[in-house]
Amino acid sequence: MTESPRYRTTFVRLVGFLRPYKWSMIVSILLAVGQQAAGLLAVFLTGSIAGVLVDENRGLLPWLVVAVLALGAVRALMMAGRRLIAGRQALSVEMDVRTVLYAKLVRLSFGFYDRHQTGQLMSRATVDLQGVRFFLGYGLIFFFQHVFTIIGVAIFVFLISWKLALIAVAIAPVLVAVAYRYSHVSHPLLREVQQKMADVATVAEENIVGVHVVKAFAQEDEQQRKFERSSEEVFELSVQANRQRAFYVPILSFLPLLAQAAVLLAGGRMVAGGSLSVAAFVRFNLFLAMLVMPLRALGMWIGQAQRATASGERIFQVIDEPEEIADAPDAVPLAPGPGRVTFSDATFGYSPDRPVLHDVDLELEPGKVVALIGHTGSGKTSLASLVPRFYDVQDGSVAVDGQDVREVTLESLRREIGVIAQDPFLFSATVRDNVAFGRPEATDEDVQRASERAQAHEFIVALPDGYDTMIGERGITLSGGQRQRIAIARALLVDPRILILDDATASVDATTEARIREGLREAMRGRTTIIIAHRLSTIALADEIVVLEDGRVVARGGHDELATANAVYREIYEHGLLDRVFTEEVA
Amino acid sequence: MRVHQPGGSLTRARGAEVDDWSWARTRRRLAALYRLARPYKTRTVLAILSLLGATAVALAPPYLVGRTVDEVKRGDTQLLGWFVVAFVAAGALGIVFTYAQTYFTGWTGERMLADLRHTLFRHLQRLSLGFYERNRAGVIISRLTNDVEALDQLVTDGVTSLVQNTLTLVGTAVILFFLDWRLAFATLVVMPAMGLATAVFRKRSGRAYRRTREALGMVTATLAEDIAGMRVLQAFTRERAARENFREVSDDYRAANMSTVMLSGVYFPAVDFLSSVATAVVLGYGGLLAFNGDVSIGVVVAFLGYVTNFFDPVQQLSQLYNTFLSAVAALDKIIDLLDDEPEVIDAPDAVDLEDVTGQVAFEGVRFAYGRGPEVLHGLDLDVPAGMTVALVGHTGAGKSTIAKLLARFYDPTEGRITIDGVDLRIASQESLRRSLGIVPQEGFLFAGTVADNIAFGRPDAGRDEVIAAARAVGADEFVNRLEHGYDTELGERGSRLSLGQRQLVAFARALLADPRILILDEATSSVDIGTERRIERALRRLLHGRTAFIIAHRLSTIRDADLIVVLEHGQVVEQGTHDELMEHRGLYTSLYGDWASTAA
Repeated sequence: MTESPRYRTTFVRLVGFLRPYKWSMIVSILLAVGQQAAGLLAVFLTGSIAGVLVDENRGLLPWLVVAVLALGAVRALMMAGRRLIAGRQALSVEMDVRTVLYAKLVRLSFGFYDRHQTGQLMSRATVDLQGVRFFLGYGLIFFFQHVFTIIGVAIFVFLISWKLALIAVAIAPVLVAVAYRYSHVSHPLLREVQQKMADVATVAEENIVGVHVVKAFAQEDEQQRKFERSSEEVFELSVQANRQRAFYVPILSFLPLLAQAAVLLAGGRMVAGGSLSVAAFVRFNLFLAMLVMPLRALGMWIGQAQRATASGERIFQVIDEPEEIADAPDAVPLAPGPGRVTFSDATFGYSPDRPVLHDVDLELEPGKVVALIGHTGSGKTSLASLVPRFYDVQDGSVAVDGQDVREVTLESLRREIGVIAQDPFLFSATVRDNVAFGRPEATDEDVQRASERAQAHEFIVALPDGYDTMIGERGITLSGGQRQRIAIARALLVDPRILILDDATASVDATTEARIREGLREAMRGRTTIIIAHRLSTIALADEIVVLEDGRVVARGGHDELATANAVYREIYEHGLLDRVFTEEVA
Repeated sequence: MRVHQPGGSLTRARGAEVDDWSWARTRRRLAALYRLARPYKTRTVLAILSLLGATAVALAPPYLVGRTVDEVKRGDTQLLGWFVVAFVAAGALGIVFTYAQTYFTGWTGERMLADLRHTLFRHLQRLSLGFYERNRAGVIISRLTNDVEALDQLVTDGVTSLVQNTLTLVGTAVILFFLDWRLAFATLVVMPAMGLATAVFRKRSGRAYRRTREALGMVTATLAEDIAGMRVLQAFTRERAARENFREVSDDYRAANMSTVMLSGVYFPAVDFLSSVATAVVLGYGGLLAFNGDVSIGVVVAFLGYVTNFFDPVQQLSQLYNTFLSAVAALDKIIDLLDDEPEVIDAPDAVDLEDVTGQVAFEGVRFAYGRGPEVLHGLDLDVPAGMTVALVGHTGAGKSTIAKLLARFYDPTEGRITIDGVDLRIASQESLRRSLGIVPQEGFLFAGTVADNIAFGRPDAGRDEVIAAARAVGADEFVNRLEHGYDTELGERGSRLSLGQRQLVAFARALLADPRILILDEATSSVDIGTERRIERALRRLLHGRTAFIIAHRLSTIRDADLIVVLEHGQVVEQGTHDELMEHRGLYTSLYGDWASTAA
C-alpha cells in the first residue's frame, strides 16, 4: 500500500463528504454493531444447546427457543433500520459528490476541455464515482461491523478456552492477508479485461460504421483476423483472471476449514481428557464459523478502500483544477452599448510559451461586419474566442464598449454575444429546445421567427413532428447544413449585440446557401459581426476585411483595396472562386 | 423546460422481455448453445464433473462436526483423528474440485463466447449493405458487445450457480432427511414463507432495478452530452439551468435507487429472521427429540450447521432468474441476426473478373431500396474504359445509388450492369471489388498507423510502395511532419488528422490498391486553401488512366471530366462535356447558374 501523504489527505477529504451525515452515520454504525451483538448472543445461546442436552436441563429449553427467536427479531429489525438509514445516506453522498463534480465541470473553462477528452472526464464521473460511492456509502459501516464482530468473537472464544482460541486465531492474519492479496491482484486484471473488451468494441464499431470501405477494398478476411486477434486477447486475459479466481477462492474457504480441523482435533482431545465441556466445544465451533465471513470481508475491504482512495484522487484532480476563467470578485454587469470591440496589444497562446496572437491592436466599429481571413493557424478563431472570454489574453486586453471583458460578469458578457461554430453541437432534445437554448423562456413565435430568419423554418416544419422533433443521439439525424441553420437560429434568438460566425455556411448547396446569406445579412443588421471566413461568398458579406498571418494583423480594408494590395486575399480570391461547391448531397 | 429527453429508450431496449417460450424456439436456443459447446465436449464434461464433486464435498463438514461431537461426548478419541483427517481431506478435495470447476467452466465459457463473437463478426462481414442501412450501427454493435456479455453472465457464472445452488439445496435436504426425517420436516416448515418472500421480492425488485438502470442511463447520457457540448453550454450561459437539470436527473436516479434500498431493506432482514426461526425450530424440536433419545446431540449440531445452507442458495437462485431472462433475450437476438441472410451473394458459377480494361455499361437499370419507391427508372449509360465521368444533379437524383450499384452493394431490380461486357451478377464479388476502388466522402479511416491505413486495400504492400503512393497524392509532406511519420497512430477513425488530410490518406489508399475503376464521392466540406489545391492535384494523379465515376461537387472536377452526366429524379436528363452542356442551356446550365450567383 503506497502510503503517500497525499494518499492520506485524499482519504480524509473523502471522509469529509460524510460530515453532513454525521448522525445518520453514527446511528448506522450503532445499529450495525447492535445487529452483530444480537447475532453473537444468539450464537452463544444456540451453542449452549449441547450443554442443555448433556445436562438434560428440560426447563431451560423453551427459554432458549424464545430467546433465540427474540434475538432474531431484534437483529432483523436493527438490520432493516441500518439498511434503510445507511442506504439513504449512501445515495445522498453519491449525489453530493456527483453534484460537486458537475458544478465544477460547468465552471471549468475552454482550456481545460481542450486538454481533456470527453471519455476521460466521463470515466471520472462514472467509474471513479462508483468506486468512491460504495466506500462512502457502506464501506465505513462495514468496517466497524466487521471489526466489532472479530473482536466480539475473539473475546468469546478466549473466554471459552484461550488455548483453543490461540490455535484458531493463528489463522486469522493469514486469511485477511490472502483475501487482501486476491482483491489486490484481481482488480488490475479485471480492469484490463474491460479495457480489451472496449478494444473489441472499437474494432467492431469501426467495421460496422465503415463497412462500405471494408467491402470496397475486399478486406473482410484481414478485418476478421484483426477482430479475432483482439477478441483472443480478451479470451486470454479472461482465462488468466479465471485461473486467479480458481486459485484464491478455494484457498479462502480452505483456510477456515483448516483452523476448524485443528480445533476439532485439539478440542476433541480436551473434551475427552475432561478439560473442556461438550457444550463449550460446540459453542466454540459455532463461534468459529461466525469469524470466517468478517475476516474475508476485511481483506477485501482493505483492497476496496485502496481503490476508492485512488478513484477519489482522480475525482479530486478535477475538483481541484484551477478555474482559469471566472468572474473577478468586483465584476460588474456589462453596461448597454452599441457593440464596439477593442483589442489592445492582445497577446494569447494556448500554452504560455507558444503565443498564437501577438500584440493585436484592432477596433471593430459598432454594427459593422468584419471578415477575418488567413491561413489555417493564423489565429482567426483564437482572436474571435477572446471576445466572449472563452480564453483570457496573456497580455494586453479585450474590451466591449470600453469595458475590459475581465472586469464584467461572464454571464452578462456572453449573453450579448452569439456564436455560430463551424461544426455546431446540438443537444439531444427537440428542435424547439435547441433553438431556444440560450433563451429557454422564448415564445413559440420568437423561436419560429428566428428559424425563419435562419432559413430553417421550412425544413423544420417538414420534419416528422415539426418543432417537437427529437434530434441528436436519440432522435433523427440532421444534415450538416440543417444543423448549421439551427445553430444560426439559436444564435439569433438571444438577440446578441455581437455575432461571431465561423464560416457557418460551409456545406449546404448553392441554392440554400444563397438564402442563408440573405438571412444572415438580415440578422447582422445593427450588430457587430465577426466572420471567420474561408470563402469569397462569405467574405462578400463583410464591410471590412482583416487579414491575419502568424497571429498578426497584416492588412485590413475593403475588397478592392485588398485585391490589389494583399497576397493572401488574392489567393483566396482566385482559388476560392475555383473551388466553389457546385451542388451538395444532403444526407 | 427540459432539454434532455429521458434516455430510457437506450436502456429499456436492454431490458429482458422474452415472450416466446414455444418448443420450436426453445429447441433453436438449445441447438445454438449445443453448437457452441460441441468443439469442447471433453472440457464441458470435466467442468460438470468437477462442479458435482465440489458441491458434494462442500456438504460434508457440518456432518463431520456433528459426528465428532457425538464421538467426544462418548469420551471416544479413537475415531476423532479419522474424522479430522476426513474433515481436512474434504477441504483439500474441495480445493482441487473448485479449482478444476472454476477453470474448466471459465475456459469453456470464455472460449464459446470468443467463438460466438468471431462467428457473429464473420456473419456481419458477409451481410450486404442493405442490412447496414436498415439497422442502426449502435444496435448492430450491441449484438457483438452487450448481448454477448449478457450470455457471458449466464454461461460462466449462471450455469455454475444454478447447478451448485440447486445441488446444495437438494443435497442438504437429502442429508437432513437421512439424519432425521422428523426434524427435517420441522425445519423445512419455513421454506414456503421463504419461497413466497423471495418471489415477491424478485418481482418487485426486477421492476425497481430496471427503473434504477434507466435513471442511471439518463444520468450518464446527460453527463456525456453536457461534457461534449460544454463549449456551447457556456457560450449560451446555460450553466445554471444545466446544473438544475443535472440535479433533477440525479435526484430521479436517487429516488429510483431508494426504492431498491427499501425493498432489500425489508427482504434481507426478513430472510435473516426466517433463518432465526429455523434455528429456533431445530433447537426446540431437536432438543425435545434429543431428550427423548430419538436423536443424538451430534445430529442437532449438524442440523444447526446445515440450516444456513438453505438460505443462501434460495437467495442466489432468485437473483439468477433475471440473469437467465436477459441471457435468453440476448441469445434470441443473436440467433435472429445469424439467420439474416446476405442479399447479394456470389452466383454458384461466378467467374473472376481478370485484366479488366474498365468499360462500364448500365443497361435499362431500375432500382428501389427494399420496398421503397423506385429511385432509378431505366438508366442507360455507356462509359468507355479510361474515361472520367462526373455525376451531377440535385439531392436525391440518384448519384450515390449509381455508385452503390456499380460496386454491387445492391443488385438492380431490373436491367443489368456490365464491366467489360460481364454482368456483375455472374462476377465474383471479391474479383469485382479488387478491380474497383471507392473513395468515400469523409475519407473514413481506421484506428492504426498511417501506413496501415494506406495499405488497407493491400496489407502486403511494402513500405516503399506505401510511401510512393502517399508521395504521388501529396500526402507525404504532412505525414513526415507527424511525430512518428508513417508509424503515427491515428486514433479512432483517424481523428488526429484534419478533414483534408484524411481525404489525402484515403486517396493514397485508393492509389495503392490500384483499381481499374474508381468511384469517388467528392467531399463538400471546406478545407483550407492550401490543402484544397493539393487535393485537386492528387485527384488528377489518381484519376489518370482509370475509368472513374465522380459524384462531383467541385466545379474544377466537373469541368475537367470527359463526360458529365446530369441526373434528375433517377434519370439521365443530359450528358456531354461542360461546353456542350452549357450550349444546351438545360438543367446543367441552371445548376451552374445557381452556383454563379452564389459566387458573385
